[in-house]
Amino acid sequence: MSKKVVIIGGGIAGMEASITLAELGYHATLLEKSHSTGGHVQDWYQLFPNRRPAKEVLTFSELRMEGKVKTINDADIIEIEKNINDFRILLRNGKLVVADAIVVATGFDLFDAHRKEEYGYGIYENVITSADLEKRFSEGKKILTHDGAAPKRIGIIHCVGSRDEKSGNNYCSKVCCVTGVKQAIEIREMLPETEVFCFYMDLRMFGRHFEELYKESQEKWGVSFIRGRLSEANENTDGSILLKVEDTLAGKPLKMKVDLLVLLAGFVPSGGTKAIGKMLGLPFGDDGFITPKDEHTSTNLTDIQGVFVTGSCTGPKSIQDSIADARAAATQVANYLK
Amino acid sequence: MNKLFDKLQEDVRFREGLKACINCGTCTAICPAAEFYDYDPRQIVDIVQTRDEEKIEALLKGETIWYCGECMSCKTRCPRGNVPGLIICALRSLSQELGYFVESEKGRQQLALKRTIGKSILKTGYCVSPELVAAKLHPEQGPMWEWSQQHLPEIYNRLGANYKGDGPGALRKIPEEALDELARIFEITGGNKRFETIEEFSSKKAKELGLELDSGTDGEYFLNIYTTNNNRHNKK
Amino acid sequence: MKVEGKRLIWKDYQKEIAEDKFFYVRSCIRQTFFPGSEWAFLKIMKEVLGKDVYENPAHTTCTGIGYHSDIVPFDTTMTVVARQFALMTEAGYQNLVPSCITSFGLYTEVMETWKHFPEEEKKVRDYLKKATGREFEVPKNLAHASDIIYKFRKQIAAKGKYRLINKTTGEPLKVVEHIGCHYAKMFPSKGVGGAEYPYVLTGMVEDWGGEVIDYPERRHCCGFGFRQYLVKANRGFSVACSKKKFESMAPYKPDMIITNCPGCPMFLDRWQYVISEMEGKTYGEDGHGIPVFTYEEVAGLILGFDPWDLGLQLHQVPTEPLLNKIGIPYDPFKKYLGKNGEDIGIPMKPSMLNA
Repeated sequence: MSKKVVIIGGGIAGMEASITLAELGYHATLLEKSHSTGGHVQDWYQLFPNRRPAKEVLTFSELRMEGKVKTINDADIIEIEKNINDFRILLRNGKLVVADAIVVATGFDLFDAHRKEEYGYGIYENVITSADLEKRFSEGKKILTHDGAAPKRIGIIHCVGSRDEKSGNNYCSKVCCVTGVKQAIEIREMLPETEVFCFYMDLRMFGRHFEELYKESQEKWGVSFIRGRLSEANENTDGSILLKVEDTLAGKPLKMKVDLLVLLAGFVPSGGTKAIGKMLGLPFGDDGFITPKDEHTSTNLTDIQGVFVTGSCTGPKSIQDSIADARAAATQVANYLK
Repeated sequence: MNKLFDKLQEDVRFREGLKACINCGTCTAICPAAEFYDYDPRQIVDIVQTRDEEKIEALLKGETIWYCGECMSCKTRCPRGNVPGLIICALRSLSQELGYFVESEKGRQQLALKRTIGKSILKTGYCVSPELVAAKLHPEQGPMWEWSQQHLPEIYNRLGANYKGDGPGALRKIPEEALDELARIFEITGGNKRFETIEEFSSKKAKELGLELDSGTDGEYFLNIYTTNNNRHNKK
Repeated sequence: MKVEGKRLIWKDYQKEIAEDKFFYVRSCIRQTFFPGSEWAFLKIMKEVLGKDVYENPAHTTCTGIGYHSDIVPFDTTMTVVARQFALMTEAGYQNLVPSCITSFGLYTEVMETWKHFPEEEKKVRDYLKKATGREFEVPKNLAHASDIIYKFRKQIAAKGKYRLINKTTGEPLKVVEHIGCHYAKMFPSKGVGGAEYPYVLTGMVEDWGGEVIDYPERRHCCGFGFRQYLVKANRGFSVACSKKKFESMAPYKPDMIITNCPGCPMFLDRWQYVISEMEGKTYGEDGHGIPVFTYEEVAGLILGFDPWDLGLQLHQVPTEPLLNKIGIPYDPFKKYLGKNGEDIGIPMKPSMLNA
């Protein structure tokens, strides 16, 4: 009778952890709160750094899950009971799932850009988020202003809801910078007549081929970069957006009109991370993410026997990070259960 | 040897105002003074946080710290919780304490403020009152103001004021005992010391510049600092 | 523009405003330029709303203008503020209502400083005791006078005789609302609606029938800048700031401007005159300029107070065109009379502004 592992959270990390555990011979059950697995990757169009379709990565995982991992969608967990030898997870629909080990893979949400009030999201129609833009790409929609016109200039704002005491998040969300560079290229490819300006404080091109992507955005695609964090966005009479920023390299305040403004929204711990973490009594850092047993040597372990963590619930991660982390978590679970 | 920085740290506004700056520029982006003057609050904060004695001394003696209008729009935006406006307040206080303010055209104006607003506070208990805004010195107030200045009691009392009267009401005569308390507060808390310091260094500067410094608002030095603008304060 | 988006934000910034029993402290600039506004505020509070508002004549300036001109040290300012608190405490009040926005910002700043640095509060208590023998309690509630009018705006509307509506077209008047910088920029949670989309004046305008217009330079400072106006050599900065606002709001064709700070309406009013003289340019319709009002004046007009009792004759930009738009009657012959109806002459007309 093989040991039972329950993976809470059906995003890319949860999926990968469940597959790896199944392939190692464990009985893996994946609990997903929404109607389908795949998490945020379902919402993405092309992935950095090489702009391959996000669907391919999802399909890679989904195919390997088939027949090996038991998936329960619409699984709303209301209680987790820890006994001496196992865990009992109670779902809202009354179903009880028993586990010998739990992997928490509840992930992140995107920062709600409404809360960055001075940027006008939800007030000015031509202000959208990176996720809104990604959706337009995915749906094959044209990139137009609210009035249906082709934008002559698009602004992309870095660090929305990140590195921002006012938003309540001091941390860097890691992947937004390279997302901004990727989206800038995608816009330029789609709309060769449209100027694209990225407004940044730093350009965090941390991964392999990221710096080269930045170089390509400048050399091949003519994306412009202005080092200055957006201070305020206002709406002109024609619906275009007036930006107030400082070009810090020139040392001068700058006002610029854009037809469409894209806010690169950062990561926040998801509602599920907060709820499940609390249910299990896991420690949270000042940043709201779950703190593992040791941030260098034991990033998938917790102080609770049999409870493991993986993916963005312990901090912002790229898809590559999440997949690798999920497999690492699986080996830790195997080590525990043997 | 960061003596000036250490002195700044003694000011509670400085401790409130400076955490650490990441040079994002949201303050300069929104600053009205940065639009019109050759002024960049981000650069000032960045200089101050280097703690460099020479650079801070140059700030204290220079024009730029006097361009801020203390609107505090910067505080609303800074993602690190800094307040360039409060740092400016601390720099201005230190500049006056050390007498450096007289080295800049804008800094020298502190005497004008002391002899108008400062005098008004101790003499009347108000920072500003109609008599202080004399029509001749304030043509921008327009012909309506000029007319009202000639009929202060009639107009103001019509509007419900208690012009120079006893008891409550707008523009009342603030009782002597209250003014005495203000005077004692100014004495104990260093308010008078600040006023004296401004006068002392201004007097030295007036001698240096060969301008007569009387005790009111009509002398050579006063009119010089009140009206001189070298037209080099704006961006190129 | 989706106003519902703003309503979401307004919900987050609700502020506790006391119901009654207010200790009122006056504004140096309000008294100097808009004495009728303070009269109107007290009349509305006491006679229309039946509230207890007390003024101790021994209260003084908070020194805000001196503090922001950097001639008054912070210790001195804090101690003068403490004295105001002491007068309030001694009179048995706990709710402080300043008439001035700079005062409001200053009282908030002092109280917040004492929260972060309790040793400063102790130091000030000692200073005050030594200088005056007085002791104080920190106010339980601090609200600006505009917050109070905001709180009771619906009652004022109910008792109102007039609405902010163009009586000829039936359309709501287009109103620019200008919030004093020191109201919410320093401590957004202390302002109704926060710092980005303050609601204190918008709420009044909406409940009184008008329509608030947004424009890119809405949040821009009017340019007072303390020393930037008070010293003649610096005044260019001040007028430039106001001009920036006028240029930005003009395409939206506002009928009027409403403000809550004492200095702002003075500047927005006078700088229109100055710009007309310097550049020949006027804003608004027919060269009249865009009339600027304090919220007390608007509340008074809604309630049917005589415009000349409110002090509209002290505005350089004429307010009669707006009174005509609303249908508020006024006697032009009484405009410039003195307290006892005496003839004290009339001001000269400006050369460019159609007054």
